[in-house]
Amino acid sequence: MKDLEKSVFWKKNSKLIYLITAIALLAIWRPHAILYGIQRGSLYSLIGLPLSLTLGVVGIMNLAHGDFLSLGIYISYLFFVNLGVDPLLSIVPVTLILFGLGVLVYKLTITRVQKSGHLNQLLLTFGISMILVESLNVIWTSRPRNIYVPYASSSMTIANFTFGTYELLYVLFAFAVLMGFQLFLKKTRLGQATYAVGQNPRGAKIVGINIGFVYLVVFGVSIAILGIVAGVMLPRSSIFPMVGAPYTMRSFCLVAMAGLGNLPGILVSGIVLGIAEAIVQSIPGYSGWSDLVFFGVLIAVISIRSMRRLAL
Amino acid sequence: MKTIKYSVILLLLIAAILLPIFTDAYFISVAITILTFMTLSLSWDMMLRTGQLSFGTAGFFGLGGYTAVIISADLGVDLFVSIIIGGLVAGGIAFVLGIAILRLREIYFAITTLALASVFSVVIRNLHKITGGPSGKIVFNTLFDYDSTKIYWLMLGIALGTIVISELFKRTRIHFAVDSIRADEVVAKSHGVDIFKYLIFVFVVTSMIQGVVGAAYALQYGFVSPESTFSPHYLLLPISMALVGGIYSTIGPIVGAIILGLSSEYLKLVMPYGHLIIYGVIIVLVVLFIPRGFYGTIRDFISERKHR
Amino acid sequence: MESILKLQNVTKHFGGLVAVNNVSFEIEKGEILGLIGPNGAGKTTLTNLISGIHWVNEGKIEFEGNDITLLPTHKRCHLGIARTFQISRPLKNMTVVENVMVGALFGKKSNLKLARREAEEICNQIGLEKLDTHFDKITVLDIKKIELARAMATNPRLIFLDEVMSGLNMDETRHMIETVRKIRNTGVTVCIIEHVMSVIRELTERVIVLDRGQIIAEGPYSEVSAQHNVISAYLGEDA
Repeated sequence: MKDLEKSVFWKKNSKLIYLITAIALLAIWRPHAILYGIQRGSLYSLIGLPLSLTLGVVGIMNLAHGDFLSLGIYISYLFFVNLGVDPLLSIVPVTLILFGLGVLVYKLTITRVQKSGHLNQLLLTFGISMILVESLNVIWTSRPRNIYVPYASSSMTIANFTFGTYELLYVLFAFAVLMGFQLFLKKTRLGQATYAVGQNPRGAKIVGINIGFVYLVVFGVSIAILGIVAGVMLPRSSIFPMVGAPYTMRSFCLVAMAGLGNLPGILVSGIVLGIAEAIVQSIPGYSGWSDLVFFGVLIAVISIRSMRRLAL
Repeated sequence: MKTIKYSVILLLLIAAILLPIFTDAYFISVAITILTFMTLSLSWDMMLRTGQLSFGTAGFFGLGGYTAVIISADLGVDLFVSIIIGGLVAGGIAFVLGIAILRLREIYFAITTLALASVFSVVIRNLHKITGGPSGKIVFNTLFDYDSTKIYWLMLGIALGTIVISELFKRTRIHFAVDSIRADEVVAKSHGVDIFKYLIFVFVVTSMIQGVVGAAYALQYGFVSPESTFSPHYLLLPISMALVGGIYSTIGPIVGAIILGLSSEYLKLVMPYGHLIIYGVIIVLVVLFIPRGFYGTIRDFISERKHR
Repeated sequence: MESILKLQNVTKHFGGLVAVNNVSFEIEKGEILGLIGPNGAGKTTLTNLISGIHWVNEGKIEFEGNDITLLPTHKRCHLGIARTFQISRPLKNMTVVENVMVGALFGKKSNLKLARREAEEICNQIGLEKLDTHFDKITVLDIKKIELARAMATNPRLIFLDEVMSGLNMDETRHMIETVRKIRNTGVTVCIIEHVMSVIRELTERVIVLDRGQIIAEGPYSEVSAQHNVISAYLGEDA
């Protein structure tokens, strides 16, 4: 009996195990790149998880996702500069502010286009994205700012290998948020309702679930999580209006890689993407191309998916 | 009824051609800008009619501009030929891209096209030997040597060509293919419409138009750079113009371009910073409250009264 | 009689649900075949597989001797397969006649002028008026007629009518039966999916009974309707 269980375990997780082995081997070859890649990748996953939730449950692709992150970073910045609040502590108020903002935006705008089809929804969130970016531009100009907190540059040395430790927080938070989502979906009533709505909104409605409320909470929470990310990112980021925009694209790339509804897949995909980018960046002479890795991956995933549909 | 329509169009055409003779340089430059954005807006709408939302206008616009400047500066190609080649390159890239991504639609297509401008930007920044990198590239002979009247006529020609293509799309079988694809793809293909072929066709043609107008625009000034040439301006404005004027029509983007083009000049004086916010607000408000745009709402209103 | 359509061991599943299970049958040229069975038996899925909306997981489909198993939907239409939809799907952004023209333009590949004329003629034959109105101003019966007209405009050799009689009153049903007969008399093979048994009895020479994705009976309606397994499929095991 135990042998059967063991072989089932290996079969189910074989892809994951190959992946981890590959990463470990790469780590020996280029340790800094891999560590950096895991950290960046975790950041991508951290930002991608709430987008995946919104897309999967509410069915809306929020093109303004990254720009809410930018807003959160600026609000965090304000707390730091004007009130002297430590960035990691400012996570609490910023998260609440962004939750409120998300709820407001949802009620005022998104409810009106939910029945109108994807075109209108995309145009709407595109418009919101532009409003956010340009408002930040007007208020703060495009001049990048930075803050300094002593612990942001902390480092550690293990066996001749020195590395920055702050960004390990991204990994920590990514796992924490993933686990938080899983627990929420499985163990809380609202979470189970959310899961039901994600599977089958009409069915959920018939059973009596208030899908409007679920949508509201999910959307609000996904924006709120960006508040957490903002606080964590603040000490190490250059702050400018377009700081969050690239993450919208990468989050979508993760959703495309992992497939809808696959939350752990977002974490894995994020780390894979992060490592891929880091490896490209470490190749001398080609480091500028690392910004295109996500696009190449996106196209590859889309092409493979569409070919599968054809060939079946 | 028809002769009235044709005479009005003829009159407008003559007025448009004679415009530079009666106005000053400032107004001509505003008109050039309006025509540029009108072309972009119309080409965006043409793709929208297939049911696919493309955010790639800025990308192909910039691609055409860069192609034209590079080949005219480095290879000495004649400026007008450069414009055509700019269009062809944009169309070619659209073709390759379309084959990869047009089988999955809606969100995937929209977001991939949204990434285009920044992807082209990154490529251009990296290939700085050819493209001049982040600081941009200059070509010394510019179109008509800055003669704005002749530039206006060129832009007018491009805009008119686009209007003709848009109307062709509406009066031939392309109209039926595109509208049926947009309405219900299952029905379309069950009745013999080769959806993929038509989507690629429209995507390539509209991207070519964007490349052509981008090339002409860049060659006016003889300068391209990643920030200015791929500016989100060239995405945001055409979309708001089509939305305001009325999507799924030829007249809608024309009307929208004129309305927003003129009011943006006024806005620039009143709000030197942040007038882009207004366009975002316009998009949001139109999508929420008047999704058919001004021309569209008027048109629906008229046809309602006809059928009473 | 030669066969116009041949299915061999066709299977289709959606995830864990097997909708069509190892189905093989032939449709003979010029016949009116009835495809019946309780709800959820797989009749519409079968139609979708034949017309090309879904790919088969296993099996082979032959149309007029050509293997069309891997042929895309629009090409099957060009070869001569047409169908209507159980829940009508009019093209909402077009008028009545424009809906029908889509079939003529792309199924039959006529030019614009010809397509318009052909569409108008078909509408006349089926009894559709008010050709230039948008779909939201017409009756439910008219919507069904559009479905039929549009499919016929593609100049098919085999047409699947998916529950065209549902929701019609006696006169309308009578009229529709005549229309189906007229269609067959122009040389088109018809496969009619129906729940209204009187129609099946009157129109078809042969029926195929589907239940839970499998063929459970085949033959003239009078014989098949008396079979025990057919009755219990419709009415439950205890009937």
